Amino acid sequence: MNVELDALNEALKAVSSLRSCVGNFFLSLSQGVRSEHGEDHRETKYILELQDLVAEISSNMRKVEQTCSNIPLPPDGQINLGNTAHLAHETTQDRQALYSELVGSYKWTDKLHEISNITFGFLAQNVMKRSYNSYLNSSGMNAKRRRLTPSCHNMSISSVEGVITAIDRQYQDMNVNVYRPHPSNCHNLQIQVSLGRILRAVISFRGMMIEWVKVKAYNEEFQTDSGQLGQLDLWTNSRHHVFRKITENANAAMLHFYSPTLPDLAVRSFMTWLHSFRSLFTDTCRRCGNHLLCAMPPTWRDFRTLEAFHEDCKP
Amino acid sequence: MGVTILLSYPVPENKTGPQTAELLIKRIGALGAVQSGQFLVDCETFSSGPTMGGPPRTVHVLHNSEQPAAVFALLESPGPPPKTVPLVADGLFDLLMLKMSSIYASKKQTRMEARGTRFEIADFLVKIGTVTMSSNFKGVLVEVEYRPCFIAGNCWELMREFMQSFLGSVVQNTPPPYFQVHNRLNDVYQPLDTIQQYLDHFASYRKVAGL
Repeated sequence: MNVELDALNEALKAVSSLRSCVGNFFLSLSQGVRSEHGEDHRETKYILELQDLVAEISSNMRKVEQTCSNIPLPPDGQINLGNTAHLAHETTQDRQALYSELVGSYKWTDKLHEISNITFGFLAQNVMKRSYNSYLNSSGMNAKRRRLTPSCHNMSISSVEGVITAIDRQYQDMNVNVYRPHPSNCHNLQIQVSLGRILRAVISFRGMMIEWVKVKAYNEEFQTDSGQLGQLDLWTNSRHHVFRKITENANAAMLHFYSPTLPDLAVRSFMTWLHSFRSLFTDTCRRCGNHLLCAMPPTWRDFRTLEAFHEDCKP
Repeated sequence: MGVTILLSYPVPENKTGPQTAELLIKRIGALGAVQSGQFLVDCETFSSGPTMGGPPRTVHVLHNSEQPAAVFALLESPGPPPKTVPLVADGLFDLLMLKMSSIYASKKQTRMEARGTRFEIADFLVKIGTVTMSSNFKGVLVEVEYRPCFIAGNCWELMREFMQSFLGSVVQNTPPPYFQVHNRLNDVYQPLDTIQQYLDHFASYRKVAGL
């Protein structure tokens, strides 16, 4: 595989040097006779220069042909799919091209398999997920893991409401309205939080776990068009770039503060983090000292110290 | 409607008004702004005739292309005490004023307008316009709006930094005089505040002797 790559790289380099030679030639041609050619015999010198460039182009062309012939072809040229090769012996050639299509689709699925293996390796490095099954378990471990499975989405509705009212009381400038979209399903809860006169957010809970956060400006509404009472529009993005960015950061914070063993601490920490946005327009970035970077205020709050940073300044 | 600051940019000695506007447009383009149309703010002044009795009162009728369905009218009654009564109405108000031409006469030669291009950059809206009074150039006005915030006191520092980045030292370190009265820094900002700022600037341009 490496030999093929080297040969390919050589060929690509040769092609790019050929292209730059041709480019130089056309540049010289467009500039015509220049002052550098001196006073005497200007045209002769110019023609000599052009001839040099043409000679360089032809030598680069030979090099390109040589390196291209060095690239090894894939072995056997064609993939052999066993008995299906007989499909290619169809008498009327234009009736079907089934075998060649078969070969094409086989190559495609092969490549897909290879790429998805590599992707799985990349995605498995991301620990920001909260699913309760690990696909790499052997079946013997399942029983033990199930006992330790976190069940913070199964808590009683009164404890969830207790935490929320405590947070409401704790922060003076943060008001919380509770909505219950499915009265029969006691585990789903949505709250609308308004922070000062800066922003409004809807947070959707599943038991004690925060599932969905959307942040908008204070004067943007979360009502659905149909006007059904008690229904919040959770999905429309804010009109402003600032609040779209803060929604992304809030989703990151929600994942960061997720803790299956201490669910109410998770919710409290998230609310404290959200509360730090009351100084969104007045704070300067801790690193660069400015209010604005690319016309955006500091939209990142550090998870531990709650310091304000611009998106590009965050440590 | 976000907080809007209106600033009069002084035209340097060796340049004309349109050249100054071009210079500002180049600067804002260098910051990455995208042009998004034209804007027009115009002001027509009507003054009451002798049939009304009492001292003459003026009505300024303004239109802003940012609020195309609205007509703003400001009645200045000299006193005592002198007060300004604002009104926001829909387009039919223009026709109403036409009907009242016997009571309120329009002074056509004092019609002022600010016209120019508007630019958008992130959540900012910048309008650079030239002010003309009956085709005579009067000055260059720059309007900067920060859409997410509608409390002036919250975002004054942020807006000052933004404006200084392309206007330079023309921008003062204190909020403009419009915001320093009546606790306007902590009030919810309305489109009428923009119109009142325009009116203040138009009035100062009218006082300057013909350019």
